[in-house]
Amino acid sequence: MVEDERRIGVFVCECGINISATVDCDEVTEYARTLPDVVFSIKNRYTCAEPGQEEIKRFIKEENLNRVVVASCTPRMHEPTFRQCCADAGLNPYLFEMANIREHCSWVHHDRKEATKKAKDTIKLAVARARKLESQEELTVPVTQAALVVGGGIAGMQASLDLADAGYQVYLVEKEPTIGGLMSYINKIFPTMD
Amino acid sequence: MAEEAKFKCLRCGHEYTDTYTPGVPQERTCPKCTSNSVRRMKEK
Amino acid sequence: MMDVGRHPKIELLTYSEIENVTGYIGNFHVNVRKKARYVDEDACTACEKCAEVCPVVAFDEHQLGLASRKAIYIPFPQSVPASYLINMEDCLGTNPIACGKCLEVCDPKCIDYDEKDSIIELDVGVIIVATGMDVIDPTVLDEYHYTEFENVMTSWEFEILTGPGYVTGSELLRPTDRKVPKSIGFIQCVGSRDDKRGHPYCSNICCMNTVKDTLYLKEHYPDMECYVYYMDIRTFGKQYEDLYKRSKEMGVRYIRGIPGDVEEDPETKNVIVAVENTTTGKLEHHELDMLVLSVGVEPRVETADIQKILTLSKAPDGFLAESHYQLNPIDSPTGGIFLAGCCESPKDVKGSVTQASGAAARAERLLSQRRVKVEAITSEIDPDLCTSCGICVKVCPYKAIRIEKKKAPAEVIEAACKGCGTCAAECKFGAITMKHFTDDQILSMIDAMLEEKPEEKICTFACNWCSYAGADLAGLSRIQYPPNARIIRTMCSGRVDEKFIWYAFQKGAPVVLVSGCHFVDCHYIDANRWTQKRIEKIWDKLEQKGIRPERLQLEWCSAAEAKRWQSIMRAAENLRKTVSKQEIEETIRILSNGDKPKTKAKAEAKGKKKPKVTAASSE
Repeated sequence: MVEDERRIGVFVCECGINISATVDCDEVTEYARTLPDVVFSIKNRYTCAEPGQEEIKRFIKEENLNRVVVASCTPRMHEPTFRQCCADAGLNPYLFEMANIREHCSWVHHDRKEATKKAKDTIKLAVARARKLESQEELTVPVTQAALVVGGGIAGMQASLDLADAGYQVYLVEKEPTIGGLMSYINKIFPTMD
Repeated sequence: MAEEAKFKCLRCGHEYTDTYTPGVPQERTCPKCTSNSVRRMKEK
Repeated sequence: MMDVGRHPKIELLTYSEIENVTGYIGNFHVNVRKKARYVDEDACTACEKCAEVCPVVAFDEHQLGLASRKAIYIPFPQSVPASYLINMEDCLGTNPIACGKCLEVCDPKCIDYDEKDSIIELDVGVIIVATGMDVIDPTVLDEYHYTEFENVMTSWEFEILTGPGYVTGSELLRPTDRKVPKSIGFIQCVGSRDDKRGHPYCSNICCMNTVKDTLYLKEHYPDMECYVYYMDIRTFGKQYEDLYKRSKEMGVRYIRGIPGDVEEDPETKNVIVAVENTTTGKLEHHELDMLVLSVGVEPRVETADIQKILTLSKAPDGFLAESHYQLNPIDSPTGGIFLAGCCESPKDVKGSVTQASGAAARAERLLSQRRVKVEAITSEIDPDLCTSCGICVKVCPYKAIRIEKKKAPAEVIEAACKGCGTCAAECKFGAITMKHFTDDQILSMIDAMLEEKPEEKICTFACNWCSYAGADLAGLSRIQYPPNARIIRTMCSGRVDEKFIWYAFQKGAPVVLVSGCHFVDCHYIDANRWTQKRIEKIWDKLEQKGIRPERLQLEWCSAAEAKRWQSIMRAAENLRKTVSKQEIEETIRILSNGDKPKTKAKAEAKGKKKPKVTAASSE
């Protein structure tokens, strides 16, 4: 892809007041538009909610976006959500990037000026990364229809039986000459004492 | 085999002696400030 | 057990061990060594004639040596497979002239002295590890004169003595005079919950095991005096508290206090226990016929081998580590491998069965999909730039990179790659691209970060699983810290290439902080060991160049350590304040001069060969 073809959209989430209480989201949204290759930026109340996601999908189409940055919470929470959202709009999910301005910013800094500054930088980093993102294809591999269970104690036996009853071939490998494991040493078993 | 060496914490500057085994990485924590920026000082 | 033995879908390989496993999720190739039994297990009818004529008497392992067996034996009557085997170390000789008595009497002719171990190769899509645990060996600690006093035994020996298979026919007889004891004591937590002797953790099952034993005794010998010496009785399971109450109602005396030591009456061989009853504050002396040590459990010694063969992780207590403590307690960190039972942590039967069914369900989920998607965060090798130096093969925690032939370029097995990026960071020739976390992407982030007022910023690398998550938790907990860090997330700290660090310093970073998981938590088995090695090297280089090494900080922080993240942030900020503009300018000047550190990977690729080791230096 040629440099001037990158069209990045930045979606800044207020997360109710979770972010907007300490980060000036208007200022941040304005700032985002000044970053290289950013052609569009908008503020949402909740980007992860249905209307927010619909907006992402709509602007991917209307603005012809080919990279999406959401500035909201941690990618450890909503990255799968937004990746799916991009995929639904026909964008490769690996062309999506997140800027964590909640857990790593609005929630940990009281000073509005400093937090806004950090949020801007965080988005700047995310945009810098987004500019370099490339589409990726996920590999699918076949799954051999058999299971190995290592150890023939009570756990190994139970797992083997469950899988075998489900119709899968099971190989149960036990080190000792017999299965049974530690349980075969036990006289009675609590709580039923049998 | 384990050898003795001098370690220095790059956060608080605390220096102490501890054992280490060459080639076997070990998580090191400064006993004073709990930083992991602990550097083994080589004999000059 | 019988169900397992005769299930048409289960192939039972007993007396067998896993030797080697290659492959990846959905596609494992396994080599199993099936040891020679010298008895054909399918043909053997377990008629017992062979054992009748066998002249050898050996310790019976299955009765902990409390009884004997022959050299040709069946472990216990209900063994599956129901077949005899010969222990060749006990047998008088493989040469039938030496003995050969069993061969003569065997009607189905299933004995073969010349049988050899065989290697069986298996292809499977999933692996369930259920290697169990071990009971603490009481001879090592020799608590309470276990090796000296005959009437002191372990809870496991007690099981044998009261079990149906034992020679006394489940009559409990004390070892010294073969009489039913009139009094018995149980000491809890032997080898457990002790930092100095044994293990620091609670072994989970011993309290209930003792409660169970006392109930058994009170049912069979109502007049027997029973004492239990304990620190805490833990009966958290369903219906467990009822059993404990019943035990107390039946007259078992529970005494809060662990005996310091015990003595033996040289004549009666009785055991005298001195214990401080911490409830009454009084010292009590009990003369007992028998004393049982309620021993704890520990990871099997073989766990280390299994861990290595399957590239699993260990928890600090030595048991195998699960993928996530709360949210993914059955998956191992390696895709397609699941944990069941006591290899993961000490459990009772119910707990083991529950987890085993969970593991089966997790495995089935994968099997039923027939095809599995692998996240595209994997590494890629440019064969033109690769020099086959082999460093990537060495550092890969998942054996996901191979060099098929000497000097052939390395190849990534995409499905086995978990995406830690250590290979890309260690490759000296810029031949490896970490997809979705490329050099170009990360260097661009550093550029963006340090473009304006670099002196105010702490260039921070955080790994996805631990330190980044720890920072997330700090957010969730609203823990405040200085706002100067700018975080670059990588999947693993192992991805943090030396050139990123040099580049950041060159661009004016006052402080660079590399953070990742504690060693025990590393989500890529041991990838962060390479991070540490790399940082140690860079500290040396910084010093050589006249740059303060402490400006590069290394910190491990788990996903649960929000407070630690705060203290790391505060320390980094304090350090940042000590770095003046002049110092930064000086650093930039040093790094721009002469031996310029690597900035762009591709420029470095000159196809250098590793210097050959001369004969003299290799000696």
